[in-house]
Amino acid sequence: MKITKAVITAAGPQQSRLPLQRFVDLDGSEKSALEIIIEEVVAAQVEQIALVIRPGDQDLFAEAAGIYEPLLTFVEQPAARGYGEAVYRAADFVGDQPFLHLVGDHLYISGEARRCAQQLVEVARSEECVVSAVQPTRENRLFQYGTIGGRPVAARKGLYEVENILEKPTPTDAEQHLLVPGQRAGHYLCLFGMHVFTPTVMEILQGLVEADGNQPVLLTPALAQVSNRERYLATELRGTRYNIGVKYGVLITQLALALNGDEREEILAQLVEFLANREATG
Amino acid sequence: MASDLLATILSDDPKIRNRSLDGLCRNLSATELLAACAQLDRFRRTSDNLYQRVRALFFLSGIYRFHLPPKLPPAAFGLIPFSGYEHTLNRRFGEAIDVFLATVERQGISDTLASALAAVYHELGFQTLANQVRRSVRSVHGNQWMFRVGHPMDNPLRICRELLRQDEPEGIYPILRERTPVRMDLSHSGWSDIFFLGMDYPDGARVLNVSIDLGVQGRDSAPQPPIEVSLRVIDEPILRLVSVDLKAKADVRSLGEVFDFACDYLGLLKAAVIAAGLVPPGLEASGQELSDLLARLVGPGLGLEIVSKVNNIPKGSRLAVSTNLLAAIITLCMRATGQVSSLTGGLQESERRIVAARAILGEWLGGSGGGWQDSGGVWPGIKMIEGQPAQPDDPEYGISRGRLLPKHWVYDTNTVSMATRQQLQDSTVLVHGGMAQDVGPILQMVTEKYLLRSEPEWKGRQQAIQILRQIEQALAQGEIRQLANLTTKNFFGPLQTIIPWASNHYTQTLIDRCRERFGDAFYGFLMLGGMSGGGMGFLFDPKRKPEALQYLGELMSSTKKELEAALPFAMEPVVYDFSINNHGTQAQLCRHDEALMPIGYYVLVAREWFHKDSQQLTRAERVEASRLARECRAGGQLAGSAEFLLGGLLPQPPQEDQGATTLAETLQENGFDSKLHEQIRSDLRDGRIGLAQNRLPANVEIEDVQPGDVRSTIDGAGRECRALGQEALAAGEVAVLTLAAGAGSRWTHGAGVVKALHPFHRFQGKYRNFLEVHLAKSRRVSAACGTTIPHIFTTSYLTHSPIARALEQHNNYACRGPVVLSRGQSVGLRTIPHVRDLRFAWEEMPQQILDEQAQKVRESLHAALIEWAEKAGCGSDYTDNLPLQCMHPVGHWFEVSNLLRNQTLRNLLEERPQLKYLMLHNIDTLGADVDAELLGLHIGQEADLTFEVIGRRMEDRGGGLARVDGKVRLLESLAIPREEDEFRLTYYNTMTTWITISRLLEIFGLTRNDLEDSAKVDTAVRNMSRRMPTYVTLKDVKKRWGHGQEDVFPVSQFEKLWGDMSALAEVNSQFVVVPRLRGQQLKEPAQLDGWYQDGSEEYVDRLCAWE
Repeated sequence: MKITKAVITAAGPQQSRLPLQRFVDLDGSEKSALEIIIEEVVAAQVEQIALVIRPGDQDLFAEAAGIYEPLLTFVEQPAARGYGEAVYRAADFVGDQPFLHLVGDHLYISGEARRCAQQLVEVARSEECVVSAVQPTRENRLFQYGTIGGRPVAARKGLYEVENILEKPTPTDAEQHLLVPGQRAGHYLCLFGMHVFTPTVMEILQGLVEADGNQPVLLTPALAQVSNRERYLATELRGTRYNIGVKYGVLITQLALALNGDEREEILAQLVEFLANREATG
Repeated sequence: MASDLLATILSDDPKIRNRSLDGLCRNLSATELLAACAQLDRFRRTSDNLYQRVRALFFLSGIYRFHLPPKLPPAAFGLIPFSGYEHTLNRRFGEAIDVFLATVERQGISDTLASALAAVYHELGFQTLANQVRRSVRSVHGNQWMFRVGHPMDNPLRICRELLRQDEPEGIYPILRERTPVRMDLSHSGWSDIFFLGMDYPDGARVLNVSIDLGVQGRDSAPQPPIEVSLRVIDEPILRLVSVDLKAKADVRSLGEVFDFACDYLGLLKAAVIAAGLVPPGLEASGQELSDLLARLVGPGLGLEIVSKVNNIPKGSRLAVSTNLLAAIITLCMRATGQVSSLTGGLQESERRIVAARAILGEWLGGSGGGWQDSGGVWPGIKMIEGQPAQPDDPEYGISRGRLLPKHWVYDTNTVSMATRQQLQDSTVLVHGGMAQDVGPILQMVTEKYLLRSEPEWKGRQQAIQILRQIEQALAQGEIRQLANLTTKNFFGPLQTIIPWASNHYTQTLIDRCRERFGDAFYGFLMLGGMSGGGMGFLFDPKRKPEALQYLGELMSSTKKELEAALPFAMEPVVYDFSINNHGTQAQLCRHDEALMPIGYYVLVAREWFHKDSQQLTRAERVEASRLARECRAGGQLAGSAEFLLGGLLPQPPQEDQGATTLAETLQENGFDSKLHEQIRSDLRDGRIGLAQNRLPANVEIEDVQPGDVRSTIDGAGRECRALGQEALAAGEVAVLTLAAGAGSRWTHGAGVVKALHPFHRFQGKYRNFLEVHLAKSRRVSAACGTTIPHIFTTSYLTHSPIARALEQHNNYACRGPVVLSRGQSVGLRTIPHVRDLRFAWEEMPQQILDEQAQKVRESLHAALIEWAEKAGCGSDYTDNLPLQCMHPVGHWFEVSNLLRNQTLRNLLEERPQLKYLMLHNIDTLGADVDAELLGLHIGQEADLTFEVIGRRMEDRGGGLARVDGKVRLLESLAIPREEDEFRLTYYNTMTTWITISRLLEIFGLTRNDLEDSAKVDTAVRNMSRRMPTYVTLKDVKKRWGHGQEDVFPVSQFEKLWGDMSALAEVNSQFVVVPRLRGQQLKEPAQLDGWYQDGSEEYVDRLCAWE
């Protein structure tokens, strides 16, 4: 399976400006979130990127992409008809090829030399099927994520056959439908915001989009159908995702970048000083 | 042989596994039984299979209770080691068994130790089962996470956005409303829905149940889902819980209050909130704040309000109103937090299942327990509910044969047509008979019998399963008459074979009279739930249903009047209108004008609004009040409710029946001594008397009796005694004195009915009460000795008129001898207990610790009752109840002395000058008859009083025969300074006493002639009374309210007890040991089954000559 294209969605009503947020990256240089995401994609040997945005945002995003702008194809989502429809907007761009998909409001810090997207793409290339990246998540965070249920692939650590997937389940649902053998009690495999999709996903999305011209189309119900149509895997990556769209998301993400980056010592020293001063004044 | 028992437990072959314990033990000797017990005990210690272990425990209990005692030497008595008893109280049953077995090893087996082992194995069996159900409930997928949440930050639930969207312009939150039917069982296959049965015998666990809407005939215009629960967001960080029916409202502000189930009437709502995960059970005792949890769940500064209403359907309807209410609240809370996929409408099957599992969890949390099918109202229409074998993926797999949760098969209209459903509706009259009974003991009996596979019961169970199949067919074929035949056959056949107490005299009378009146048009009877007397079904030819509705209402009312002194009725009987609900539980989101709570809710909250200045009302309260005013006006949704609202808000004049007597009048009529009462109240207040002061000083030496202190008559008293007794009998020298003045508190847990008149059992095909049994025994003896035996029943304010009426109505139950009533001359007024006495009883006296959750509920209840006593005024008169419930009989010592004061003895002696002896016994000592040998023994040893005692068993608590500082006497347990002393006493007092009348009079300082002189008699009695100790006791008294609701309060009263006569130095008291069957007393209905099984019933039947 050859993966040369990627689709990044950044059209959500609450998230459309988040990729423009600037961070100090691991290497100490200041970048927009979009640049960091594009670097993630490029490291996975992707050559062309579709960016799904709201109408009128193109100039901002082009500027935020910096040197990567030439790689981008801008696709507009005219009305907020859901995450699934946003992905489907890139159907013409991807054609009949598999593609990497990321969301525009998540940043990733890898726990190894390969970046997260690269790890994912390598799994997809070897397994030749749809693969979603997942991360074990405590049940009290389930309300934020799509969550999969399934079973481990024999002799393949961190790889799972997906049997079920629910959007932001309650733990009541999760315990009944999403238990994955081998996970710690109260932990589930939640989507990482990073997938490799085959054209089947676009086909399913097309069906959903055309079924009702006004209803929002979510991605998770489409993914739930994938497991009935073809092999669908989930993989745990060595890395951590950071959602910049939640409360304190920007702060936490920046801290994570700083504490995992080249300037770790300096930031730690400043934090210690900050805490010490708090103690002294408090 | 012993190994057969083990093989029975271990076998996979149903033919072997289902062999009965009775059959296996019948031909085994005592030695073989003991060997079998040793083997079973070894097995239960090592087996890792829960159900095999439990069965071994019940086999052990059954052998020690029923099979071993008759095979032991007749006088094999022993002592129960106190340490074993203490272990039992603290639920350390395993340790208790070890102690008892070690004692058996040292002393040999005795009837006493066998009783202790039987009791403890029994308890351990039930504890093991309960633990397993609890584990299974917690391990159901969908429930586990709630036990992991230990901090508000862990809470994964969020309230749905729709509920947070306020309606403009008023700014009020919408109301999410759940409406749920209740369930009616057409058959439960012999209580097969008990968890233990369903989990051990899933193939036999089948229930056919129907979701129904209800209305009360004459009150409601049409049946509707009786359960309605509303939920909305409120602007305060609290959990507001309201029960419209119980008129209870609480603003819960802390997590501690959420887990305090008995501090108010809202325990069920709290259990539901917890089981739904709103306040996950893992947060109990976490030390966290409810407001923090609500901030995460609902939003900062916000809270939730939950309002329940069951349309005033009375308690005890046997329609699982409580469980379905629990399920409805759970469903609603789950919808509100996205745990159910749709906010409104019905539920999916997987969602109903998780609701059912949560309802089971809620039942356990609240310390109650329903069957697995009780939340059937959540499902639509008619459904078969079946136990399911555990599969490898189930948490129960490898532990129990079945799953905790059954499977529901909802019948479609092809299987049961709409026409059939209509016919079922048109034929059935549903009623609440008005009786309030605890179904718990019945469920325990069923479980035990199932595990022992008692032969008739096991056959009955198979028959019940067969009948259910036939009912299914009848339903499919639309044969309602056949269906009614089958439910009737089920009731009179297997159900009563398994548990004879499922029926009662009241139910039988209703059925008989319906048969008489309607003939063929009376199709049959349907028992609902665990037992009859409360909710019941009667099926008729649809053409006659209107007449039947009317008739049953009148019939129940008149029959209740006939029997209400004898049976515990909690309320006036009710006839329902009902219809089948084909939708199951449904929810709707009410916005704008529809977002109104039930009118009963406003009665509760408007009271608070009135107390506030209009400036103090919150914005939400002002909006709500103005909407209420608007909707109550003509054309509004609550139009016509204004009168109801006003009626609820303004104080009502007390509802006194015309002609009903007041407490003061009743006290006066019954010889209430206000001076004595004042003295006792002041002694209580000053701590001169009290529970702790009942005890003898600690330096008193209490020992067991020695061989010469007591004479055994277990093998008979001898030919000479018999001859002497027969001679006295033939000469008409003896009369029977039955003590029937007491309230029988333990029999009905303080319901205040006359135990003597309770038709507790069917002898020779007819329900008979205690009175009738005693007269039938005298009839047999009279016939044998060719004379008549006078029978005196002592009575009190509570029992006199009903007993007099019953005797008159039944012509003294055809007793040929004189039957005399000796009416009490004294009565006491109950008082609010002192906190020190409550604490003494609950904290210092050894108490049986309950199952974990039930114990928590009990402790919470105790705290609430202590608060009640403090608020009501410790030591003040207890007057907040019906007059008869405020008074108390003053102990059986007075019942004897009253014989002298009220001229009963004088009259009897005048009529029968030859009368020399009395046989005194308690109303519940069913085996006591005028035995010639015992009478002869009493005469021969020239005793003043001869007291009968029996060898002690584990359950015999209340004192015994002792040497007290060297004097042999009966000792009340109230007076024993150290609990353990009672366990050193071999013999237990039966209360049965042979009295030589002339000596009794002499002891009082009287002669026969003095009985004419009432002043002299009064003085003599008063003088003697002073020498008798006064005991302060706590008794439970029921207060009834609302629709079948009952509260039980502990109240203080005093009494003087007959056994203390044995302590008087001048009295020649003798003590004889009699067989247990003669001396044992029937104190609680829960004992009935053991009494029936262990040969006691047969023994009593043999003593009686029935008319």
